[in-house]
Amino acid sequence: MPTILINPFDESRREPRLPAPRLDRLAGKKIGLLDISKPGGNFFLDHLERLLKDRFAVAEIVRLTKPTFTKPAPDKVIDSLLQARCDAVIEALAD
Amino acid sequence: MREIGEQPAPFSLPGLDGATIHCPDGKPTLLFFFETDCPTCRLTLPYLNRLSQYMGSESATIIGISQDDDSATGEFATQAEINFPIAIDRDLMVSRQFEPTAVPTLFLLDGHGKIVRTQIAFDKSELNVITTDICKAAGKEPFVLAKPFDGNPDTKPGCTSRHLEPASEGAVAAGPNLFAKQGSRASLIELADDVDPIDYCLEAGYDPLPVIPPTKQRVDQMLSAVKFPPDEVIARVPPNYAAATVEKIAVGAVMAGCRPEMMPVLLRLVQAACDERFNLHGCQATTHFAAPLIIINGPVRHEIGFVSSGNVFSNVARANSSLGRAFQLILANIGGARPGEIDMSTLGNPGKFSYCIAENEEENPWDPLHVEMGFSRDQSAVTLFSAEPPRGVSEHNARTGRTVLKAICRALATVWTYRMCAMFEAFVILCPETCWEDIAPRRLHQRKTREFLFDQTGSHCELTMTMTPKGHSSPDFTNRSSLTASLAIANSRDPIK
Repeated sequence: MPTILINPFDESRREPRLPAPRLDRLAGKKIGLLDISKPGGNFFLDHLERLLKDRFAVAEIVRLTKPTFTKPAPDKVIDSLLQARCDAVIEALAD
Repeated sequence: MREIGEQPAPFSLPGLDGATIHCPDGKPTLLFFFETDCPTCRLTLPYLNRLSQYMGSESATIIGISQDDDSATGEFATQAEINFPIAIDRDLMVSRQFEPTAVPTLFLLDGHGKIVRTQIAFDKSELNVITTDICKAAGKEPFVLAKPFDGNPDTKPGCTSRHLEPASEGAVAAGPNLFAKQGSRASLIELADDVDPIDYCLEAGYDPLPVIPPTKQRVDQMLSAVKFPPDEVIARVPPNYAAATVEKIAVGAVMAGCRPEMMPVLLRLVQAACDERFNLHGCQATTHFAAPLIIINGPVRHEIGFVSSGNVFSNVARANSSLGRAFQLILANIGGARPGEIDMSTLGNPGKFSYCIAENEEENPWDPLHVEMGFSRDQSAVTLFSAEPPRGVSEHNARTGRTVLKAICRALATVWTYRMCAMFEAFVILCPETCWEDIAPRRLHQRKTREFLFDQTGSHCELTMTMTPKGHSSPDFTNRSSLTASLAIANSRDPIK
């Protein structure tokens, strides 16, 4: 008699999603910078903000911070990002 | 990514000019995987054009493999004046076969299609090595293709290969239904007679250690111990938030060696762990070395055989070991937190094999944990704590309970790191003889003990203040006085359990 095993893994099918289209240029765009709140993230994002403004002529920067890096971003943070209607968001950390 | 010495299967792709491009074609071949919007691919192209011009098409073949569609590729090829054949990898089948991690990636193949050299992204010295190799293979004089100081950087990182991006037409595809109460039944795997089931489970990645093969018969027996239907969703296990159905949990129980009567505890345990308040997501995906520690309280300890005596953190009893192991198998196989993938722990934690203890309530002079947390003694409870590996404190020479506790304080101050021990929680687990002989008789009650630990725990820091009399900067006139302080482990007593 053949051995029949029961599959132990998650078998749910996840529909892949297309990534958002890449921006054709950064000049004049509104960019969100999301700090996951690890110590040091602000230094990195401050530098990134300067680069985006000075070198790439980004029009506006929106800065947001997750309350803790140990958990997914709460709805409040996601909603704020949505309301800001950024052209792109960079989520970053530094340790 | 395919490596040197490997020989991927031959392929044919439609060319940009309509002709079919075959590989290998008997000549040394350089494959150039690229994307049309990748600046590093654009940077690499003039070099490859020069190489193609030098080599000619007789002695070697250069093929550009575009990961984009015909129109974007056509526009790109015209702009960049590409002078070698371009193939369109429409469904990314060839990219999946060669598995470049980034673009541009170069694969140099011999005439039979065996990989003899690879290069990822842009690197002038690597480009010169690959040029030398293809020249030698084609019987041509090698030359320096990428010269220093030619206006381009020596290296430049590339972009993620398209086949590694989420690639489909499903731009608005629905996510999983996180609120569904009913899941799917698990698929069945029929093994051929000559396949050893234990070897199969190891090979298929059920666990790095041998498991009891989850045969249908064994899983059915496990399911018979609970009244829930097999497809009922008990919880969504982070970080993938996959459905832990009763059946999948039973599979984990079988593999770990649980007895059927442990199923009700395991179901509640999975449910509790996936409660958002526990933040299993953080525990499973962190770079830290945390693992969920299970603490069992109440009558269920004796009903099922959890042992709380010596060796409580290790191989003391089937119930402790198998429940802890089943839980970890469920977290990895359903939740998806696997080392090297979403589980990003730098050092790991031996508790990820099994991390389950029971409290020795009978020999505890104080209230057991679950009573402290609001349950009654005759109730059973599981408590979860994201714990580092246990660290022992061995104090044989102390003459008083306070000295024992002070030794514990020194260890407590190193939770996380002594430099920032003020944010974290800790469990102090005392052996009964320590409680009875050293601490309890000296009227250090539970609350007092916790207060003592809180007050005494800290990193000793010495602040040296330099006072210089006004107008004199010479060191001779400097007075020093020291102020010592303690940084407490937590900002209140409560996090010390």
